[in-house]
Amino acid sequence: MAGSGIELRGVGYSVAGKAILTGIDLHLTESRIGIVGRNGSGKTSLLRVMAGLVAPSVGTVTVAGKDPARDRRAMLAQVGILFQNPDHQILFPTVGEELAFGLTQMGQSAKAARMAARALLANEGRAHWESAATHTLSQGQRQYLCLLAILAMQPATLLLDEPFAALDLPSQARLRRKLAGLGQQIITISHDPEAVADCDRVIWLEGGRVAMDGPAGPVLAAFTGEMARIGGLDADADLAS
Amino acid sequence: MLTLTSPVRTWAHGVRAWVKLGALCLWTVALLRIDGVWLAGAVVLVLALAASGGRVFLAQWLAMLRPLWPFAVLITLWQLWLGAPLGAWPIIARLGAAVGLANAVTMTTELAEIITLLTRLARPLARLGLNPKVLGLSVALVLRFVPVMLLRYDQIALAFRARSPRRPGWRILMPVLLAALDDADRVAEALRARGGAG
Amino acid sequence: MERNLTHIALFAALIAVLGLIPKIDLISGVPITAQSLGIMLCGTVLGAKRGFLAVVLFVVLVAAGLPLLSGGRGGIGLFVGPSAGYLIGFPFAAFVAGLVVERWQVRVGVAAFAGAILGGIVVLYAFGIPGMALALGKTLPEAALLATPFLVGDLIKAVLAALVTQTIAQARPGALLSRA
Ligand SMILES: Nc1ncnc2c1ncn2[C@@H]1O[C@H](COP(=O)(O)OP(=O)(O)OP(=O)(O)O)[C@@H](O)[C@H]1O
Ligand SMILES: [Mg+2]
Repeated sequence: MAGSGIELRGVGYSVAGKAILTGIDLHLTESRIGIVGRNGSGKTSLLRVMAGLVAPSVGTVTVAGKDPARDRRAMLAQVGILFQNPDHQILFPTVGEELAFGLTQMGQSAKAARMAARALLANEGRAHWESAATHTLSQGQRQYLCLLAILAMQPATLLLDEPFAALDLPSQARLRRKLAGLGQQIITISHDPEAVADCDRVIWLEGGRVAMDGPAGPVLAAFTGEMARIGGLDADADLAS
Repeated sequence: MLTLTSPVRTWAHGVRAWVKLGALCLWTVALLRIDGVWLAGAVVLVLALAASGGRVFLAQWLAMLRPLWPFAVLITLWQLWLGAPLGAWPIIARLGAAVGLANAVTMTTELAEIITLLTRLARPLARLGLNPKVLGLSVALVLRFVPVMLLRYDQIALAFRARSPRRPGWRILMPVLLAALDDADRVAEALRARGGAG
Repeated sequence: MERNLTHIALFAALIAVLGLIPKIDLISGVPITAQSLGIMLCGTVLGAKRGFLAVVLFVVLVAAGLPLLSGGRGGIGLFVGPSAGYLIGFPFAAFVAGLVVERWQVRVGVAAFAGAILGGIVVLYAFGIPGMALALGKTLPEAALLATPFLVGDLIKAVLAALVTQTIAQARPGALLSRA
């Protein structure tokens, strides 16, 4: 295959003249990758660029050798995205429709998609969810639904934006176990080092640039050190003023 | 709020959507032409239909009729003032019977089924450049946005009340609308992420 | 494409939500709620074509039996009642409101006010009054008289529509598709 994984070359992204990402060069082939950074460091923006939801302002992005912003059809089987806020992801009023949609988008008949969605829910022990209204689910449940909707499409790579943020501890553990058992490449975004500690590779974003990139151990050690330093600085600044 | 489909499955869930909508159509037209005993019979019929779904279904159905109460009271008062209180009955009966059956259809029809039907009805419009598949998707999106926007309204109203003694009312229309516009942009991305609208 | 679609759906939902929030119903078989503000906004914010489609979407859903009209009403029954003319006129009202904002390149608030008056009042009443006359067996002037109490409310809504459109133009210029 011409070019595997996700590759970014000299990528910059700006909105209304404001640079949000600058000079990003990454070739993502490892099976578990973490992206960490402070609030506003550009993690979500990077994910949107990688997935082809927005085109970069400069540079090129390829996913499995294709331009993700142009070749949307091909991307369905390539990348699945779990958005930070499930309310921005759920398109349909009922759970069954939400799950079936992606499958019909991939060319399945409405009936086959419906059956597949039903089977998926039954497999998760949540058959009773099928006709439940999506807005009556809790935040954590809605996020879980979003994950199911993506997994149903069996993309080669999963992009997860703060997947643990809305979950209580047991749900976090359950999600972690579920993700660990998946064969796909998984790229997890988090501001919490804990969430990406098991990754093969961790990328630390700061101010829209890659601050550090490498094995989880050293990158996370440097990241937590810096975060503690900044936290301390703010406290000092507050005291001084 | 908008109760789309009742979680209680009834026999009517199995009836084809076009049959139910067709019946509803005939029903509402017929209601305008009947009076007296026939109208009373129509009301009883709708009640019986709703009751055939069981207690939980009936309770939900009645709850969905609640918005009609102020309307019924006002019509009655109006008619009392006119000195013809009995004149309120046919108006209220027609209203209740029409909305009642419409709600029952809504409660027993999966949205996907209505969408399929609408898509089929809209097929002639394809020649005008309107993609019927898009129609179905947009219907689903509207029904998804309504509760999301109401939730936003509640959240912002709470945030307002937490910091102001006044009632939120019109003051928060703008923040709710701006938040909704941003939500719509994000949802457009989510749609793109899953293969888009085309 | 997706963005057009979600914004059209959003504004159709907005009409429904405006009918659900402040429940001020005067009785005469015609709704007086913020819903007609939603119709005006569809035109002034989305523009003629998209505004028209958004309102058609809303009206179709109401016809399909969804209780989206203020007071939880919906169904075909509405289309044979006194408010039928208004319901049918809704999309055309939005279209004209949008057309004014698109074509009349003055300050967007001013154009939106004019559009809301022309579309949301003149055009809408031109559909609504004959509808009422037909359903209630009245003459056109009598029906027009019945409609006048709503004029004050609708003028207020036109002002609101202008303010809201102006604010969107400032706060989210990209979302003002009528001037995109
Ligand atoms: N549409 C936009 N217009 C202007 N600026 C934006 C826009 N979207 C994002 N930004 C800016 O880009 C920067 C990065 O945002 P992004 O959402 O990618 O951060 P993040 O790392 O995901 O943060 P968080 O941890 O809070 O989710 C922020 O400074 C943000 O203000
Ligand atoms: Mg983010």
